[in-house]
Amino acid sequence: MHDKLKFDPIRSELHGVLMTLGLVAALTAVLFALVWEVGLAHGSVVYLIPVVIAATRWGIVSAVVAAICGVLASAFFFYPPLYSFRIKDPQEVIDLILFIFVAVAVSQLATRLKRQLEMARQREIDLRDLYAFSRRLAVAFDVSDIHAAIEDHLASVMQRNVVLFPSAREASNSSGRRAGVTVPELVLSEAAEVASGHRDTTAGATVTAASGEIWLVRAVSPKSPEFGVIAINLGRESKERSDELRVRVDAVLADATATLERLGVAHAISEARMRSQTDQLREALIGSVSHELRTPLASILGAATVLSAAPALRNEKKLTALVHDVRDEAERLNNDIQNLLDATRISSDGVKPHVEWADPADIINSAAERCRHRLADRHLIVDLPADLPLIHVDPVLVQQALIQIFDNAVKYSLSGSQIAVNAHTHDGHLIIGVTDQGAGLTIAEKTKIWGRFARGERHAATTSGSGLGLWIANAFVAANAGKVTAVSEGPGLGTTVAIELPVTQAAVPQLESDTDE
Amino acid sequence: MSEPSPIVLVIDDEIQIRRFLRTGFELNGFVVHEAGTGTEAIRSATLRPIDLVIVDLGLPDMDGADVVERIRSWSSVPIIVLSVRSNEAEKVHLLELGADDYVVKPFGMAELLARVRVALRRQMRAVSGEPTVKAGPLTIDLAARAVLLNDKRLTLTPKEYRLLQVLAQHAGNVVTHQHLLKEVWGSIHVHDTHYLRIFVRKLRQKIEPHPDSPKILVTELGVGYRLVQSGNELDAPAWPESAPAKSET
Repeated sequence: MHDKLKFDPIRSELHGVLMTLGLVAALTAVLFALVWEVGLAHGSVVYLIPVVIAATRWGIVSAVVAAICGVLASAFFFYPPLYSFRIKDPQEVIDLILFIFVAVAVSQLATRLKRQLEMARQREIDLRDLYAFSRRLAVAFDVSDIHAAIEDHLASVMQRNVVLFPSAREASNSSGRRAGVTVPELVLSEAAEVASGHRDTTAGATVTAASGEIWLVRAVSPKSPEFGVIAINLGRESKERSDELRVRVDAVLADATATLERLGVAHAISEARMRSQTDQLREALIGSVSHELRTPLASILGAATVLSAAPALRNEKKLTALVHDVRDEAERLNNDIQNLLDATRISSDGVKPHVEWADPADIINSAAERCRHRLADRHLIVDLPADLPLIHVDPVLVQQALIQIFDNAVKYSLSGSQIAVNAHTHDGHLIIGVTDQGAGLTIAEKTKIWGRFARGERHAATTSGSGLGLWIANAFVAANAGKVTAVSEGPGLGTTVAIELPVTQAAVPQLESDTDE
Repeated sequence: MSEPSPIVLVIDDEIQIRRFLRTGFELNGFVVHEAGTGTEAIRSATLRPIDLVIVDLGLPDMDGADVVERIRSWSSVPIIVLSVRSNEAEKVHLLELGADDYVVKPFGMAELLARVRVALRRQMRAVSGEPTVKAGPLTIDLAARAVLLNDKRLTLTPKEYRLLQVLAQHAGNVVTHQHLLKEVWGSIHVHDTHYLRIFVRKLRQKIEPHPDSPKILVTELGVGYRLVQSGNELDAPAWPESAPAKSET
């Protein structure tokens, strides 16, 4: 279908006629040689060959030209009197009628066949487009995803530069370059007008940009304004051509709107809008609440550390213990708030890792260092091979995941027990394992621990925490293309939580050996 | 501290934070000036001699980063930043603006004092032109370009020495990856963090008693490296009284 938009009928017809003439001339030359060399009597029937070829390949005009030229050529070259168009034999008149009849019949047949083939191909393309479009809609998460899908769908159906403005605001704020297309200023202002509903939008308006290109601006659907306003670059066309194109745009848009309505896009858009508003509200709330909570916490913690070091309290054992309680509880509260903030970050806009080349030993050591206070009454054993590969990750995220795992190990094990950290590479992955001698996991717990707010029910009464720890660890590691696994022999037999991160062996950068020495 | 008491300017809009910092500093022999806004802070810093600035990032009238930049434009006084957000990119940005170090809120007084002492000592060394830097068993003689471990001279490659030299010039303070890469390998390699990782590993093999748990050349994840100085302020735990048994590694 879209071929027709680009098609120049006169030029291609001319091409067909020229090809036909060439064909007839070539055939005549061959026949001429045959007649003289072999003594062939009449060759006129052979001229059916170019007629059929022209009819099937270039259409009816070329076929008729082939028929006429064939008859003329045979009259001129092969029927007496030779080298004259005069005809003695009535046979030739019959030839001419036969040729023209074959030309018309074959070209009709061929054209119909061609059209059917084209339609079938177009249907296939349309179906594929539609399928891709509906799949994109199915995975679209927010309004902008849906609009991008509509925009791409229309662009592929129209075979033109298409820009979709979801709202008036979007159109007036647009920088003029969208989706790799430069949109003229005039078109932007027109789109803003149409989107704000100031204009009757059914027919749409054409805008001629400074470059001479004609843009059609109209609402995607007059009934459903949430589909937005579309601007289509019609190119530099004559008035008639662009009118023709507008009719086609109408047809395509009517089709597209029906599709959009059928797929429930309008509903999806308004739902996505609502979802994002709720999310924003929740995020803002948690953000401000945790800020408000953390500021006084900083004062409490700071003041407690000043007090605990104060000379006046040096010999007051009981008071010092109280001050330590204040400090420890404030620190715990701070960790809980940090977890809530992390959880909000994960579920609201996802985690965006800042990757760099990092030494796994550095990550493990600094996580242990950050947990030093909490790990103080556990027996921590770190055993790392000297030749661990560098990994391409966000080291801070991996460190925070490790801290959560350490925290968890401390929470579910007894004072004085051992926590072992080791690392090795296996099958293109770096595996960091943290093994405790604590409560272990039941089979049911193994699947539950990864949930949000998951807490060991057996320990709910004795341990504190929000149950976010492993969920956060998992999300932070997943953001680095890795995963977290937990293995336990059973309840009371300890747990090994392991972080698996990909080692891109081929991509591990090497220093040129001469950079140093 | 037998010297005249060092003067610290505390810039924070939270009066409770200023109050505990004042008490904490005064108990440790400092003289404290306070400022609640950026403008007040800059005026205060121009009017009186100060030895150290502590600045909070969230000020009501201007960004803490602007305060750092303004003060740095005329003074080399050590600046330590208090940041609520543990955002590595922001830390790097502040260090590049000229802050000497940072502490993430909430923090303990001991942790802040350790950073403060390091910054003051670096300033003193810069003024006196003291050519040797000691970090645990390691001695770096910047004038003689010699590195000694337990008084035994080490053989370092030129790049290893350059790396150690840059860290020693900022001994105790964190030095960003970008700064190290620029100083040692040149500005075109400013993003080639893996160069650093590989060389730091080699260097640790030579200078650390236990290279797999480094105590001299320590990593500040996502930010840079720090050469931990002798004197052991930074070795002391952030909560000195409550770390009974040192955890084994």
